[in-house]
Amino acid sequence: MSRSPKSTVLFDALGPRGRRRARNASIVTGIVFVGLFTLAGIQLADQGFFDQSRWVNPMDILIIENAWLPALMSTLKAALLGSIGALLLGVIVGMGRVSRFAAIRGVAAVYVQFFRAMPLLLLIWIPFTIDGAFGATLSMGIDAEGRRLTFLVLGLSVYNGAVLAEILRSGINALPPGQAMAGHAIGLRHGQTMRLVVLPQAVRNMLPAVLAQLVILLKDTALGYVITYPDLLHDAETIGRNYADSFLQVLIIAAFVYFVLAWGLSKIVTVVERKTSRKVAKGAATVEPSIPMEAGAPGAKP
Amino acid sequence: MFDNFDLMVDAMGQGLWVTIWVTAVSFIVALIIGALLAMMHVSPAPPARWVATAYTGLFKNVPLLAILFILYFGFPKIGIVLPSWQWAIIGLGTYTAAFVGETLRSGINSIDLGQAEAARSIGLTFGQSLRHIILPQAFRTVIPPLGSLLTALVKNSSLVLVIGVPELSAQAQRLINDNQDRFDLWAVILGVAACYLIVNLPISYFIRRAERRAQFAR
Repeated sequence: MSRSPKSTVLFDALGPRGRRRARNASIVTGIVFVGLFTLAGIQLADQGFFDQSRWVNPMDILIIENAWLPALMSTLKAALLGSIGALLLGVIVGMGRVSRFAAIRGVAAVYVQFFRAMPLLLLIWIPFTIDGAFGATLSMGIDAEGRRLTFLVLGLSVYNGAVLAEILRSGINALPPGQAMAGHAIGLRHGQTMRLVVLPQAVRNMLPAVLAQLVILLKDTALGYVITYPDLLHDAETIGRNYADSFLQVLIIAAFVYFVLAWGLSKIVTVVERKTSRKVAKGAATVEPSIPMEAGAPGAKP
Repeated sequence: MFDNFDLMVDAMGQGLWVTIWVTAVSFIVALIIGALLAMMHVSPAPPARWVATAYTGLFKNVPLLAILFILYFGFPKIGIVLPSWQWAIIGLGTYTAAFVGETLRSGINSIDLGQAEAARSIGLTFGQSLRHIILPQAFRTVIPPLGSLLTALVKNSSLVLVIGVPELSAQAQRLINDNQDRFDLWAVILGVAACYLIVNLPISYFIRRAERRAQFAR
């Protein structure tokens, strides 16, 4: 998050007095924060938070090999499969959203509105429960492990498919209408206009938003916990139960791994964002990366 | 299909109520912390900016569920014990605050530089230009994204079921798991879906309206 001096509208360039005041404010806030952190540190040290054994035990090489790594792998696997599913669904529903036929637009709109209003947790857990009640996947020969993966991926795909569809739609709507008109004017058919003129620009325009959403999807794999999918968070809890003294430490390690994954990916998103900017038709509003919480309407730029 | 309908409605009603007040209180917490973060972000004191950046980066990149786990299962290990609903509000509030802070900051930054310059050039002081020129406009641009944060928070509040807060999803889960013969699976599922739609669709309707109005107003 680099800040150029112009990135805030609130301040003029500070004069000598202003600079002095700012420096004093810096020193005071610095002291306040350092003081707070020191206090918290002392408190934690009192509770043995920093004891070496508490950090070393759950990071034993055997534990890493047999618990952390498989957990990381299943998290990544779910994220990857979920991303593929979400992208497929997102493209299908997104194209439905901008279809020429009102009926298709209606169905796609209902899909988007419904699934964006549902908590992802329910979208994972409810199909899993229904399936449990009827035994559909078991009769299809999917074992318990595969069943959890299936329903986690299904939930992630269905939910993020709705979000991605919205991103796709706003990406297409953000293009100036003249682009499509120009396509029609030179005699392209609707499909050709879409394929040759509109989509390439729209896709480039919304790529950052899509990637940001996929980072969120990665974080959301943690929700597999409710159906005991053995992902990072789930296994961290298991490890924590085995090393009761290190419970907090184990959870912090897991959170740190998530942080590194998501943070690293979002750095890549920023790079992509920089590279793709300014290659779209003039007047195209950029698709803001959706408020990167778990959901977030991709804000059509006012 | 609707055996024991009133029992089900009762449980769901309680769950819906918990969902609503947990969401509301967490959102207020998030607005307060978020406003603080936004102020720290635009302040001229670098340490404040660093802390705000670190906070935002941390909470944006760690799954909410992991945060709730650390609070509810981890913190008692260092001697901090609170009831689960308080952890739920702290977790949802601090998590959402990072996004609120970003939203508010981008709202302030979305105001054209010329507006602040114009305000200063007609002799308004910093406080006056903030109060009369910048913030009213910034506020208008952040209403829609804050609304989406609210709907996201309603959905995120379902996660607190894992730390034992009896909100809507938890009630549905309990109804299905404990009473498989007495409650119809489908009735519970339809009920819980309807509840979330009832809460979230009006919010997103108002977001769209606010968005359209903001478009006309500028």
